[in-house]
Amino acid sequence: MTSGAVANPAVAQSRLRWVNPKLLVAGVVILLAIGFLIYNSMQGSVAAYFVTVGELQQHTATEEGQRVRVGGQVQPGSIRLNGPGQPIDFTVTDGSHTIPVVYRGVLPDIFANNTQVVVEGMYHSNAAFQADTLLTKCPSRFTATQTAQH
Amino acid sequence: MAQLGSGALIVALALAVFGIIAGVIGARRQIPELVDSSLRAVWGVTLLILVAVGALITAFLTHDFRLAYVAGRSSRDMPFYYVAAAFYGGQEGSLLYWSMIAGLLSSLAIFLHRKRDRALIPYVAATVLSVETFLLVMLNFVASPFVLLPVAPQDGAGLNPLLRDPGMMMHPPFLLGGFSSFTVPFGFAMAAMVTGRLGDGWIRAIRRWALVSWGILGVGLMLGAWWAYHVLGWGGYWGWDPVENVALLPWLTATAFVHSIIVQERRGMLKVWNMALIVASFILSVFATFTVRSGLISSVHSFATSSIGPWFLGYLAIVIVVSAALLIYRLPGLQSDRAIESVVSRESGFLLNNLIFAAMAFATLWGTIFPLVTELFRNTQLTIGPPFYMEVNGPLLLALMLLMGIGPLLAWRRSSLRLLLRNMVLPGVVGLAAFPVLLYLWRAWVPSMAASVVIFSVATTVLEYVRGARVRHRNTGEVYPVAVAMLVRKNGRRYGGYIVHIAVAIIALGIIGSSFFQVEREFTLKPGQTGDIGPYTLTYRGLDNRVTAQGQSVGAVLDISKDGQPQGSVESYRFFYTGFETQPTARMGIRTVGVDDVYVVLDQFTQDGTAGLRVFINPMVSWIWIGGLVYVFGTLTLLWPAPQPVRQRVAQPVREAALSEA
Repeated sequence: MTSGAVANPAVAQSRLRWVNPKLLVAGVVILLAIGFLIYNSMQGSVAAYFVTVGELQQHTATEEGQRVRVGGQVQPGSIRLNGPGQPIDFTVTDGSHTIPVVYRGVLPDIFANNTQVVVEGMYHSNAAFQADTLLTKCPSRFTATQTAQH
Repeated sequence: MAQLGSGALIVALALAVFGIIAGVIGARRQIPELVDSSLRAVWGVTLLILVAVGALITAFLTHDFRLAYVAGRSSRDMPFYYVAAAFYGGQEGSLLYWSMIAGLLSSLAIFLHRKRDRALIPYVAATVLSVETFLLVMLNFVASPFVLLPVAPQDGAGLNPLLRDPGMMMHPPFLLGGFSSFTVPFGFAMAAMVTGRLGDGWIRAIRRWALVSWGILGVGLMLGAWWAYHVLGWGGYWGWDPVENVALLPWLTATAFVHSIIVQERRGMLKVWNMALIVASFILSVFATFTVRSGLISSVHSFATSSIGPWFLGYLAIVIVVSAALLIYRLPGLQSDRAIESVVSRESGFLLNNLIFAAMAFATLWGTIFPLVTELFRNTQLTIGPPFYMEVNGPLLLALMLLMGIGPLLAWRRSSLRLLLRNMVLPGVVGLAAFPVLLYLWRAWVPSMAASVVIFSVATTVLEYVRGARVRHRNTGEVYPVAVAMLVRKNGRRYGGYIVHIAVAIIALGIIGSSFFQVEREFTLKPGQTGDIGPYTLTYRGLDNRVTAQGQSVGAVLDISKDGQPQGSVESYRFFYTGFETQPTARMGIRTVGVDDVYVVLDQFTQDGTAGLRVFINPMVSWIWIGGLVYVFGTLTLLWPAPQPVRQRVAQPVREAALSEA
């Protein structure tokens, strides 16, 4: 099988041998392991609902007590900086609905009235949204009109 | 300037279309004149794109605010280097930059290979020109950087402050350059599938150009991580953000390719797989460019609002259909010459390596597009956070590290298990000895185990150099340092590759250290107060206000001491650029003390000097940057032309025979 690999019939033969049973078993085992790894990591609490403010208030039942990501705009005039070491209060709006947010963490760079933000945290319908993550829109997509809004 | 630029782009489009037709007809009907003119079309298109780039940069430097693109991204008070760099800062300019890099590299590749790979080159030219045609259609009709404003404003809007940073000047050009450079290996892949020629010449060409793209993209990713670490201020360097993920994808498939192409070269196997990998790398590069630019990932609905979205999706669909059809058509010609003989062999080692890289790419892609999948099927978006990527990619990365240690010890075709185990004894002992030491230092099982595996791999790699150098020393009498240098010089592919392996190991240790042992604390301090974090004591000296040409800055100064010993000071800033006062830009204060980075973020502050400070101790992050430098060095040795071995010159007449045998 080593010397005859050049000739054509041997190629055809070796093609059959491609399905080396040992190799096949090893491959399947590895693929299963990787599949399990992905499946297993998908479980856990890694998934968060990504909703707009309006959606969040429409179906509060499914999201109650869940980890939620909410996208929207910072309501103009709603930002209250409470000084060093204190949380930041502001309101996120999608135009018609609003939700109060309390964010603990570092003040992000691009954070002003009308900024597009995504806040992430545990949702409880009867309290202000406690955000531990505050994402602002990626600056590489900023254009003149958007920056002019500030 | 606007007329010159848009004129150049429209002529370039016409020339590109002509070049495609000339190349294909010239190759089909064997008309050398037509083939030659298609090659010249590639150079001509590149030249015209350069003219457009020159026109755009000139418009920026002369503050020609009649151009909407210039007015939107620069202002008179910006230093000239940021003004010049602003040219690739927006969507239109970055597409122009993309087409420029693709054009330059393709021109070089076609110039270098026009004689040696005569049969392939017309189709390479046609493919490259088809890519340029797509971009030029975009640049002419959809996203032109030369659109004029009805009234020219007095001053421009200025570049977003976050982008005014040396790291930001460096990392987008490398990243975009990496994406666009995959045009060249894609061109060779398509040419090979059209002509059915996958011989030695093709492998050499595609391997070299895939390495170029892989190297540039790797540097781009590294610089991106560096920028994020120094500017974004969440204490890390990689956030598994969609934009980062899609940039990683082509690098993963390209890394798989640069490994598995060796199997094709040596053993004539994995031909279909390699072809699929290189085409996938190109497709993922285009996908990455488009995702970074359009924001598809935030929602499926958002691409409809972006002007370039449908175009990119359409183009991706065409590329996928055409290359899949060609691949199926060529399947009979892409059969393996040989089969894998043994499970314990270099071939199956490479196969496993490819499997893991493909799995990492799949998991990362799956997590990134998961919100879109759930939106389509469940009408609500579920997002996946960084823990998913770490839980999946962490173990896979560790498996790769182990394989990186074992792989070089495996022989082609079949390895004797006993010989393999014997070669693994010494590095195995090193790795096992490292484990208790690390466990004592870190008092944590998982990172100690992971780091021991990496150390094992480093030991096998170092041992490879020792073995090689010993042989050279015995045969030529060279002293050992010279022998090692000559190993790399004479067999850059193997020993240069090992340099990259060592770079990856250093980076892996940095990742292990920083992901397991990061410490974070929040302080609210008045001037003169101190705070403790780990073994460090930070003394806050107060705020330091400065006025610069571009605006104002406020900096918090802290003195660092470790176990009572002073270790210098660190200053963390917030800049307030003129025109962007509501958007202060942070510059982290980072001081490396031993293996630790003391990383200080200035949060809110008041007039009396009280400051909110978030402090991270990031162990071993500096190793990642060191590893990055080694990666660059290793990639360069891989690409450095090998000295012509005497053997090859003598063997020239029999090369044809050797070709048909392979």
